[in-house]
Amino acid sequence: MAERSFAREVQKLKAKKGETFHGEGILAVTKALLQSGVSYVGGYQGAPISHLMDVLSDAEPILNELGVHFETSASEAAAAAMLAASVNYPLRGAVTWKSTVGTNVASDALASVASSGVMGGTLVIVGEDYGEGSSIMQERSHPFAMKSQIWLLDPRPNLTAITQMVEKGFELSEASNTPVMLELRIRACHVSGSFIAKDNVRPAFTLADAMENPVRDYDRVVLPPSNFVHEVEKIEKRWPAAVSYIKKHKLNEFLGGHKGDVGIVVQGGLYNTLMRAMELAGLADCFGQTDIPIYCLNVTYPMIEDEVRGFCADKRAVLMIEEGQPEYIEQALNTILRQADLSTRVIGKKLLPRAGEYTGQVLREALSAFFADQAPGKIKSTAVDHPLPEKEQKTLMATVPPRPVGFCTGCPERPVFTAMKLVQRKLGDFHVSCDIGCHLFSILPPFNIGNTTMGYGLGWSGASAFNTPASKRTISIMGDGGFWHNGLTSGVGNAVFNKNDNVLVIIDNGYSAATGGQDLLSSRADNANRRTGQSIENAVRGLGVKWVRPVNTYDLGKMVKTLTDALTTSDKGPKIILAQSECMLNRQRREKPLRNKAIKDGKRIEITRFGVDADTCTGDHACIRLSGCPSLTIIDNPDPLREDPVTRVNNDCVGCGVCGEITHAAILCPSFYSAKVINNPTGFDRFRAAIAHAVIGFLQGRADNKRQKYSFGTTP
Amino acid sequence: MKPVRPITIAITAMGGQGGGVLAGWITQLAESQNYIAQSTSVPGVAQRTGATIYYVELFPKEAAKKAGRAPVLALMPLPGDVDIVIASEMMEAGRALMRGFVTKRTTLIASTHRIYAISEKEPLGDGRQDLEAVQKLAEDTAGRFIGFDMEAAAQSAQSFISSVLFGALAGSDALPFSRDQFTAVIRKSGKAVKANLSGFALGYAKGAGQKDSIEPEAGGTPASTTTPLTPAPAIAPLLAHLHEEFSPATHDMLRLGLERVVDFQDVAYGTLYLDRMSAIHALDKAYNGARKSWRLSKAVARYLALAMAYEDTIRIADLKTRSSRFDRFANEVGAKDGQIITITEFMHPRVEEICDILPVSLGRFMLQNKVANSALGFFFAKGRKIKTTSVGGFLLLYTLAAFKPIRRASLRFMQEQKRMDHWLDAITNAAPVNYALACEIAGMQRLIKGYGDTHARGLKNYQSIMAALDTIGTDRNANKRLQALKEAALQHEDGQALKIALEKY
Repeated sequence: MAERSFAREVQKLKAKKGETFHGEGILAVTKALLQSGVSYVGGYQGAPISHLMDVLSDAEPILNELGVHFETSASEAAAAAMLAASVNYPLRGAVTWKSTVGTNVASDALASVASSGVMGGTLVIVGEDYGEGSSIMQERSHPFAMKSQIWLLDPRPNLTAITQMVEKGFELSEASNTPVMLELRIRACHVSGSFIAKDNVRPAFTLADAMENPVRDYDRVVLPPSNFVHEVEKIEKRWPAAVSYIKKHKLNEFLGGHKGDVGIVVQGGLYNTLMRAMELAGLADCFGQTDIPIYCLNVTYPMIEDEVRGFCADKRAVLMIEEGQPEYIEQALNTILRQADLSTRVIGKKLLPRAGEYTGQVLREALSAFFADQAPGKIKSTAVDHPLPEKEQKTLMATVPPRPVGFCTGCPERPVFTAMKLVQRKLGDFHVSCDIGCHLFSILPPFNIGNTTMGYGLGWSGASAFNTPASKRTISIMGDGGFWHNGLTSGVGNAVFNKNDNVLVIIDNGYSAATGGQDLLSSRADNANRRTGQSIENAVRGLGVKWVRPVNTYDLGKMVKTLTDALTTSDKGPKIILAQSECMLNRQRREKPLRNKAIKDGKRIEITRFGVDADTCTGDHACIRLSGCPSLTIIDNPDPLREDPVTRVNNDCVGCGVCGEITHAAILCPSFYSAKVINNPTGFDRFRAAIAHAVIGFLQGRADNKRQKYSFGTTP
Repeated sequence: MKPVRPITIAITAMGGQGGGVLAGWITQLAESQNYIAQSTSVPGVAQRTGATIYYVELFPKEAAKKAGRAPVLALMPLPGDVDIVIASEMMEAGRALMRGFVTKRTTLIASTHRIYAISEKEPLGDGRQDLEAVQKLAEDTAGRFIGFDMEAAAQSAQSFISSVLFGALAGSDALPFSRDQFTAVIRKSGKAVKANLSGFALGYAKGAGQKDSIEPEAGGTPASTTTPLTPAPAIAPLLAHLHEEFSPATHDMLRLGLERVVDFQDVAYGTLYLDRMSAIHALDKAYNGARKSWRLSKAVARYLALAMAYEDTIRIADLKTRSSRFDRFANEVGAKDGQIITITEFMHPRVEEICDILPVSLGRFMLQNKVANSALGFFFAKGRKIKTTSVGGFLLLYTLAAFKPIRRASLRFMQEQKRMDHWLDAITNAAPVNYALACEIAGMQRLIKGYGDTHARGLKNYQSIMAALDTIGTDRNANKRLQALKEAALQHEDGQALKIALEKY
């Protein structure tokens, strides 16, 4: 069960022709897929398209009604390979993933399908995780399109434009027998808005039709000599077909005015940001009306040479707004102009930063510089001031603390890293190879554990070079998501085959937690549409790992002991610790409503939460350094003699008990207590409490009386 | 006529604070009132406690219809172009200021409570950042600043902060929608309607500038109703001594210190405290303490009390069995009538802590004799969970607390007094040559805190710095050097910073 449910929203997917559809970008994309008569959809979750997968998953009943097959693919490679269905049959298919990381994984299959060419329209929807909020290496998806010859769409970020581009994308794909990639930036994925819906279309040719009437065409297989033919076909047939479709259907837009000797070329996805910057500079109104000519590239690959020449012919200079690097579009623009012998200057990265997201502020500064240079007087006020003076800025820089991401309250992964920290205190530091997933937060404070992260499921292979005798072993981390994505083969299989002697910790929390709590093969919970419950332990034993130890992550003492064993044992061969406990977010989501209902129904329910005794806390915060739980916070020391703030457990506490475990394992202080609140206590509970209350009350009264004799009074 | 522009709203929040819910409400509100609304965000991994921004733009449909075109709305805020900034925490308001979102045209609605960042929580001392600087900048920079503790308001309404923020937004009148139109959105959502509406009401009242109706959260120990007004006869002479001999400026601190040590042990121990303070106060007087607002006396009064009322197993047992504590816990976990609360303490006394409270010779023997040590170690190798709300658990601690009268004979008592004497000597020696250095030495006691391993680490740092006092010298900058060493000791628990700093001398 994913973190966010779209069960209610997906009903909107049934919207009929002419109805106004309100919703988020990804939901609109799903609707557009259904309007396009898609036969199959696959993909792998990851921000910013996690919700697209969640929407599709929650929409499965609707998809089934339309005869659409949806698959939660094992990886992006698996998703891309799914597109093979469109090579021989007139089947429309779409796949989606996070880019560029997912495109990296998928590129083998993508290159193959691009070589074979497609009969049915195929659309690859990539969520471009670039700029603010991104968690991956900053790269572009653009060169993948170029190298495999896949057309790249980058629509303006409004729902009408995006949904239209989905539909046109299928047509373009079919017209040119080429897969098409639709690039959506983070904000576009999450943008809310509306568009006029059309009816959903049931595919005329079904998957079953294909399975029952197979068609084989050797020309479409990537093997000699067809592979050589494909290359020629790409250039001689598919490319010209695409160019003519794009031109004919006006996928690129000429916006703004038609006069003047300067203009702007912009990627469609950046259009709205550009328009706001232009409006603030007095160059446009808030409806996008401007007299500056704008060539908006909703298709960023291939470039349409005629259009470029036409736009630039009467201009001295154009401002090229292209995010990321290298600047492929700018280069292409220059080549086209040079070959046409046009002297229009293309000004792009000369003015705009080579790296980083093109925010409104960046574009505002670029516009200002461009017009100051090319058309002085066009922008009246070019001053772009920060509203705060430098001195105040500096004060803030020094005061506002960075807010790194961290493990959630009660996260079962936290104790794994607490244990590692404790083990390192005894045995010294280890080389730690990380993977992708929530566990990667261990690299950040307060754990500061981790050397490298090479990719999803690559935690153990990232340390495979260190397979040599040494006095210390290495530790690798892998999540269950990464494990099933490809860690099973490239990590575990690789280690077994190469007789690795190091340690792998698999974080088995039952979900693909970082991407939003989607189910996977080893999820413990039942899922009506997927088969869950496959054991990671059986899988690794099946691969030949002998030393496997499942440990409940909340048992900190045992985790410390098991890690120490793995790192010091004389047993040779790969060692795997399965750190098992359910993702607390998901667990709470499942259990809390049930628990609240049980309390309401008068059932006896115990709720545990933790606290810190301010009387005995001395404000060293060792507990915080070993835990990092968001519910562990600090408050002013209530003791007027002490200066340092004391630790406090806030109301978010879910009672996982890790802080108490830490107190024991790290021999901290006697300040932690667990408070068990018994709702609807039984008669026996009340009887026992009454006895204790009587005895304790009597003794406390006696002690209170004694202290009275030494009272300082309340008046100073 | 000025052209119609979109209303721009930036919501800065931390993952999990409900920023998305709030953005959703605003969008629905605007759409219900004939506005075009667009919201977006970049949650990514920021959903896991990181800082993130939600951005909303609203545009009147009427104006779009008149122009015959749809407005082009931006997907991210621009510095200087934000009408409303909503921050769910004060430092996030600071971040919005830093990014230039807050200007004279901005209504800034921020909760003034703090959610401390990990960098503020993890230091060994006090790593909290200065909130006042940010609050002042917020007030000075924003056209309008609405700030109050919305987290407390949310808690009192048993709701989430998003409802209070939504209420404050309604109350601020920064949006052209009425209160009823706002609340209709909450009602329509059908989720936690009652709680959200009461959170909304609290936010609305403050946003609209009505009187404070939010009670501050009760904190600390509720004063025992049985505490008499006047000091007990056993205590009166001590207080009289205090008032007679010491300068008034030091009375408050001395009284706190005195009360602490008497509570820790007995009246005689209080007398010892005052005797020790007498010597320090005389010294302070001799070296112009009066003109230095008795800095030395005050510092020693504070730290001597903490040193004398050190944390041993007896003290812990005493504190953990007091009646005041039980009431406080019930309050802290928010227990309601009809519920039963049980408290379990997590304790891990080591062999050392047990030997601490044994008589000197026995304690030493147990620590040094391998057989005895490991025999004892067998019993104390594991942490213990003691249920202080059960008769058995309570009696165990109550019995331990009863060791108080024989504490004076214990090994730890002897060690602590010896250490204090050495410390007081160092202060006494330094004061005549360098007053500031003496104050700094007094403050070294701050390094010793905690129990078990934490205490051992602090003590080790303290001792290595005290051992370096001779090399630090007494010249004009000696106090600064000592201060630097103390800061180095508080920097990181692995002690590397201190080691490097010590090597410099």
